[in-house]
Amino acid sequence: MKTPAPRETILSLFSQTPDGFVSGERISNELGVSRTAVWKHIRNLRQAGYQIEAIPSRGYQLQQSPDVLMPEAIQSGLECQLVGSRILSLDEADSTNLQACRLGDEGADDGLVVIADRQSSGKGRLGRQWESPGGVNLYASILLRPPVLPFEAPKLTFLSAVAVCRAIKNCTGLQPTVKWPNDILLNGAKVAGLLNEMSSETDQVHYVVLGIGVNLNMRLEQFPDELRYPATSLAIATGKAVSRLAFTRSLLQELDALYQIYLEQGSVPIFAAWTELCGLTGKEVQVDCNNLLIEGTMVGLGDDGALLVRTSAGKIESIYAGDVRPV
Amino acid sequence: MEIKNLRALVKMITETDITEFEMENAEEKILIKRGPDKEYVQFAAPVATAAPAPVAGLAAPVAASADAEPAVVDDKYETINSPIVGSFYRKPSPEADTFADVGAIVEAGQTVCLVEAMKLFNEIEAEFKCKIIEILKQDAAPVEFGEPLFKVERL
Repeated sequence: MKTPAPRETILSLFSQTPDGFVSGERISNELGVSRTAVWKHIRNLRQAGYQIEAIPSRGYQLQQSPDVLMPEAIQSGLECQLVGSRILSLDEADSTNLQACRLGDEGADDGLVVIADRQSSGKGRLGRQWESPGGVNLYASILLRPPVLPFEAPKLTFLSAVAVCRAIKNCTGLQPTVKWPNDILLNGAKVAGLLNEMSSETDQVHYVVLGIGVNLNMRLEQFPDELRYPATSLAIATGKAVSRLAFTRSLLQELDALYQIYLEQGSVPIFAAWTELCGLTGKEVQVDCNNLLIEGTMVGLGDDGALLVRTSAGKIESIYAGDVRPV
Repeated sequence: MEIKNLRALVKMITETDITEFEMENAEEKILIKRGPDKEYVQFAAPVATAAPAPVAGLAAPVAASADAEPAVVDDKYETINSPIVGSFYRKPSPEADTFADVGAIVEAGQTVCLVEAMKLFNEIEAEFKCKIIEILKQDAAPVEFGEPLFKVERL
């Protein structure tokens, strides 16, 4: 266990007192630093957006916290068996997936979550950028070490898609749909993107990183003009801000619950939940498989998660990669 | 027979025109055959007598070298196979450089390509230091489970 940073210790002291007051003396004792150093920590917290009042003879009182994703706040009372066992929350990352993969290579434990307030080069598919401004959205990567063979691992994509949909429903009441295999749509506009990475040998998965980006409070003017798809955020769709902290906690709990189901029962219940969320079963779709266009009726998912499309010739095509859209 | 005696025996026979020599006593049987460019030594001991290990050690490589030669040619190249069904990508993004070209020397653990299945990107690494001899799939082509992607020469 690493020693918690001073500001995490101070915030946890605030959360432990019923009246919200913590004396400067108590903080200085807990941290083992001078009163002057305590004052500097308080000043830093205020600069980070915390409203902290100093009341003579009673101490400091935390009146309002900014919507930041502090590991302690996420973990406090979190109902997870595995996911979030360790949470790393960064002000900025190149990409949370890159950081999670790096930590995975270094042997980080199953269930690690890496979160960044903003990403300088958020990863999209095939080198595309995922727009990642600070303070508004969630960018998270979850490291898992599933005891399965590499060819099983792509199924986890459906697991994170279902978890994101459930967290959105929990926090907004809105019911998103999924586009094969993993795009999350609200009224036809993309609200979340998932990108998973795996490190494996022929017969063993070292780790899988589930990359999840969800547009929570992003405003219209923050979206780049040249997006490939119409995009939205939960705040745009609902007209009000969503708590990043509440969303993150909900997402991790849904992921954890689904992952436990996956480990115990396999992918069948996960695929069933995904199929229910997909509005396209039985409808006409067009799939762009790297410049090869396949048109037909979407049948559903194969045992391995492939998209099954019945073409006009009556043949069922199994698709493993491509962009699918309704015709 | 002690190893120094066996060695002396082989040496003695190779200095003559004898192509086959066989000797048998209560403890062991020794057969030595010679072709134009090779020696062939066979040694057998009854189970009751512990076979002198050094002799077997001497005999085996001589016999093996004759058999192994065609196999060495087959083993010269190995393949890097796909662990999953998916799409094969030689570059991290369409504008980027390829991970590895023909003739490239790649280290163990170095990424040689990506295989994508259902938005899961699997970085395929070389499991040993090798030279890329041939790339067996087109960029963005679908690949099957276990299908060879690269022909490589182990270095």
